[in-house]
Amino acid sequence: MINMRTRNLVASIFLLFLCGGYAYLTVNLPTRAIENSTQPSFFPWVIVILLTGLTFLLLIQVATSGKQPNIERKNQVPVKRLIYGLLLSLAYLFALPKLGFVAANIPLFGGLMYLYGERRPIWIGLGSIIISVMVFLVFRKIFQIILPGGVLGDIF
Amino acid sequence: MSPDVLDGLAQASQLNTIFAVAVGCFIGLVVGMIPGLTISTGIIIVLPLTFVLSPEISIALLLGLYVSGMTGGSFSAILLNIPGTPSASATAMDGNPMAKNGEAGRAMGIAIVSSFFGGLFSFLCLFFVAPLLAEIALKFQSPDLFSLVFFGLTIICSFAAKSLIKGFLSATLGLAIITVGQDPMMGTHRFTFGEVNLIGGIHFLTALIGLFAIPQLVDNFTELINSNSGRGVVTKIRSVLPNFSDLKLMRLPISIGALVGSFLGILPGAGGPIAAFISYDYSRRSSSDPDRFGKGSPEGIAAPESANNAVTGGALIPMMTLGIPGDPVTAILIGALLIHGLTPGPLLFIENAEFAYGVIFSFFWANIFNIIIALIFLRLIVKVLTIPKTLLMPSIAILCVIGSYALRNNFFDVYVMFAFGMLGLAMRWLEIPIVPLLLAMVLGRQLEEHLRVSLIASKNDVSIFFTSPFSLFFLCLATGSIIWSLRVEYKRRQNSNYHVAL
Repeated sequence: MINMRTRNLVASIFLLFLCGGYAYLTVNLPTRAIENSTQPSFFPWVIVILLTGLTFLLLIQVATSGKQPNIERKNQVPVKRLIYGLLLSLAYLFALPKLGFVAANIPLFGGLMYLYGERRPIWIGLGSIIISVMVFLVFRKIFQIILPGGVLGDIF
Repeated sequence: MSPDVLDGLAQASQLNTIFAVAVGCFIGLVVGMIPGLTISTGIIIVLPLTFVLSPEISIALLLGLYVSGMTGGSFSAILLNIPGTPSASATAMDGNPMAKNGEAGRAMGIAIVSSFFGGLFSFLCLFFVAPLLAEIALKFQSPDLFSLVFFGLTIICSFAAKSLIKGFLSATLGLAIITVGQDPMMGTHRFTFGEVNLIGGIHFLTALIGLFAIPQLVDNFTELINSNSGRGVVTKIRSVLPNFSDLKLMRLPISIGALVGSFLGILPGAGGPIAAFISYDYSRRSSSDPDRFGKGSPEGIAAPESANNAVTGGALIPMMTLGIPGDPVTAILIGALLIHGLTPGPLLFIENAEFAYGVIFSFFWANIFNIIIALIFLRLIVKVLTIPKTLLMPSIAILCVIGSYALRNNFFDVYVMFAFGMLGLAMRWLEIPIVPLLLAMVLGRQLEEHLRVSLIASKNDVSIFFTSPFSLFFLCLATGSIIWSLRVEYKRRQNSNYHVAL
């Protein structure tokens, strides 16, 4: 368990890097030679100043706050399953443009059902196929939202 | 009555618009009731539909969902002691004890009727206040609008976060995100890295889907694994309509809730949960039998339910007249209007007065259908609690993908949605509130435009923001909200230090 002080420290360090990167990109923004006008970099500079100031305030808060107790969690986080969920989602995002909605959604749906605790293979199989196809057809045929059919496009 | 009002009434009373309201109400009751699904998630689910429907029908559908979502949240609060929405947290305190006494139907009936009266009162506020406010807002110039948007952002940060610094950090990150894309004044590309999809900027609806839906999917994941059950419970419900003595008892708490809710609804960021708890507290203090509160008092259900539904009408006032959303739902409503080329703000009442009044009357119908559908279909709706979440959650994941894709028919937005989901998880871990970031994304462009236009007009003289009375007024309010928030935070810290010392 990580206490809030450590989390705030992590956030401050990350935000300081973010400020640096954002400021670097802002410096490199193009300028326009229009009299009495604000440059495209004007608002980003305002943000850099605000973000830097707030980050330092957060750092000061970290430095001045006393030792804090670790945060108790009501529920145990199933880290392993969360990682599987993340990997499944990444694989889905990679496959989506190639396979299309139905073909990519079926394994995602089935995988998520399994990760959410469903263990009956027939339920997983039927649920993932029926709902994926139904959602696709409802949106594409009834609501006319052009969802790419992908490898199964011709079937529907 | 002005012809615009009558046209608006006619527009909102068309069969297809009323049907959309009714469908929205049904979905809202269901979504609001299911613990783990908020009204925002419900709106995310129907969002793709709004891209293809006409603006009148889209808004009618979303308003129905918004109003009924608030009421639906009370059902699971009463039956399971798990509020379906954060706004129903106060309802659980008296609703669940009543359900345990075998009076679940009575408790839900009180919640439905109170929601109706709270919503109806806020409709009247919306109907009478919004056009007046729009008229005043027409006089605003760039410095006034900048200060107004700035005030909107500060008050959102003050309400949304335990720590003011984190609230402002969240809003500043939101402002940084909206600088991606074309500069609003000169059209210069900023932070696009040569990516064509970034030229139009990051759409806040894509961000919203990721920020809200993905952390919620993960939360449900954790809860399901720990509870080891994806299935809810079925409860028998007997009589639903409150009896005469209940109605008599509910009069005062409903009035308190309606007033508090409508007022707090107007303030951006305050929202339903605060209104519900404040009105619960006021009702307890003004009750002849305050000891019954917390043990199944009808007044303890009536006050928060009236308040959280009154918030909906109140929140629509700044959204429609000033273009300032008070919560994620009104932010989505703004998004739905923008997609159809309608810009919320004072000009909406001039250029599209018929539509503006149509929205107001759709809100009225939403309250009417909310009570009708809730009373008729309550027993059926409650059965939804038995649908396994193992089916529900993956369905929501798919709908999130469709919602973000359909916005611009672009896979890039799906990736952006996922990235925002990760950002949402990180922010939750760091206890940085999400709402200021989202609302900064909605308001950021206006803020930049008005700031730069004001500075160009004044030849970079910042005193322009202090010479206009409207601008000065909003800046004073913004300063007041910051000071108030700092004071609250200071007191909270002192209290926690005191408890630790003990």
